[in-house]
Formats: sequence, structure tokens, C-alpha cells
Amino acid sequence: METEYDQVLRSVAQVNIADQIGESDDVERDGNGVKVSCFTEVFDDVTIQFQIIRLAKQIYVWVGCNSAKFGSLYAAASTRPSNTVSVTSVLGGTSDNTGSGIARRLVLKTGLNIILACNIPKNNPLLEAKAEKVLIRKLIDLGYTMSKPVRAT
Amino acid sequence: MESLDTNFPVRHRKISFESKGNKTEIVICSYEDHILVIATQIGAMGTILHARKEEGMSVEPTFSVSVIFGKRDEPMLTATARRLIEHISSIVPSKPLVLSLGLKDHSSETLKEIVATVIENRLWRCLQKDDINFRLLGYEMGPKITKSENLC
Repeated sequence: METEYDQVLRSVAQVNIADQIGESDDVERDGNGVKVSCFTEVFDDVTIQFQIIRLAKQIYVWVGCNSAKFGSLYAAASTRPSNTVSVTSVLGGTSDNTGSGIARRLVLKTGLNIILACNIPKNNPLLEAKAEKVLIRKLIDLGYTMSKPVRAT
Repeated sequence: MESLDTNFPVRHRKISFESKGNKTEIVICSYEDHILVIATQIGAMGTILHARKEEGMSVEPTFSVSVIFGKRDEPMLTATARRLIEHISSIVPSKPLVLSLGLKDHSSETLKEIVATVIENRLWRCLQKDDINFRLLGYEMGPKITKSENLC
């Protein structure tokens, strides 16, 4: 029987990159400069805050779960020669590296160079998957994604 | 330019200026337990440093500054983080700094300009929930703050 977690994972995989139709109202516009967008989603009784800072060649994302703590910092990008995705823990990081999976899949799905700060508690894969789905959708809606996602390995 | 959403728990401020012909963008974010400063000329975060005030018994404060991502052979970047954490910790002692420097030019003039701009546009004037009973600097006889207040 399919669990809720499996359903969320399946819906994440089905999120497709679509053409940009315009930026949302909460994005600060500054021509070609840095763009910051902040938004909040509520899942059941959990509040997840998202902050996306778009630089020209990189995107910084902060994901906060019920708090404004910085959390653990990860860097992920596609690497040569075969465009596979590499991810590393830069700051913090528990033994199960909550957040590193999100960073890795963000790069896989969007083709972007990602720096992710995340304070989602460990051992909560459903919450991770939900946050990831919202994030990918938002990155697509903001038009930050590349036209061809990175090939998965 | 500062974030207008008062309900969002993380405040941020964005500054753009030109330094030696290079367009420099700075974003300062204040989290509950960290300050993040991004200074970029190359459109990427570049080298990331972590700096914090160390707990100690000595009168003179000591700081730990380390490069956690990127160039480890640029002492000026470390010095920049050191200068900033010294300033931050004089106002908000409990918050470490995550500093990202993605610069074309690592000259001391550029870095000094970045430090001055960050200090001028700082977000850490506010009292935080952790700093209950912390007295406002300059108000020796001022009231004790016993509940969380955002005074900015």
C-alpha cells in the first residue's frame, strides 16, 4: 500500500520544468542583480519558511522548520566530467545529513548551483519531501531553473 | 533595501554599490542564531567563512575564524570575517557569522569598503529573545528588557 511519503515522492518526481510565466509578487526586483524571495508554507501543524536568494550563477536557499535557526549548510552542484551531482556538508550536519538529499535533488531537478541551509529535524523524511516539492515548484515558478535538468546517476 | 514582510522571521537587507568599477551586491540576513552576510561581485557566493566569539574567562575576547568553503590561502578574507565578528559580537555576543565573499578584487580597499558598508547597514542593532535583561548600549541607567522586543 502506498504511504503518504511515497505519494509525496511521486508528486515531486512529476514536477516538470515549465516555461516561465512571470515572477511572483514577493520577489524583489533589482534588474539583473540579487533577488530575494521569502515565503511560508504550513503542513499540518508544521510551519516551513523558505528564503531564496538568487545570485547570477548560484542560488542560496534557507529552509526553516518552526524556527529561524540557520541550520546546517550544504553546497551542491553538477560536476565534471559527466555532469553528475556532488554535494558536501559545509557547516553543521548530523550523521544522517538531513538536507543534503534536498540539495542534491534540487540540483538534479533544476540544474542549478545550490547552497542550502536547512534546519528540518532529522528522521522526518515526509517533511523533507514536502519542503523539497514546494521549493522545486517555487524555483520553477520564479523562472530560476535551467532548461535541461542534470542527468541523474 | 530591507525586507518588508514583518511576519517573516528572518530579516534581510540588500545593498548594491560600486567598488573600483566592480558592481558589488551585499545581502545581510539575521537568523535566530546566526548572521549571514553575502558579498558578491562574481554572481556566486565564492568563499564561505565562519566566525564566532569564543567563550572564555579572559577579559579580552577571542574569536575563531575559519574558511569552510573555497579559498583557504587568502588571509585578507579571514581578516574581513574577523573584523566583522568583532563588531557583531560587541552588540549581539551569541550570534556567529557566516560570511560569503565572492569577489573579483581581494584588495584591502575593497574589503574595507565591504566591512564599512555591512556595519553601516547592520541588522544586529535589535535585542533578541536570547538577550533578556541585556542593557542597551549607551543607556547605562536604561530599563531592563524582560520580554522580547524588536526595537529596530
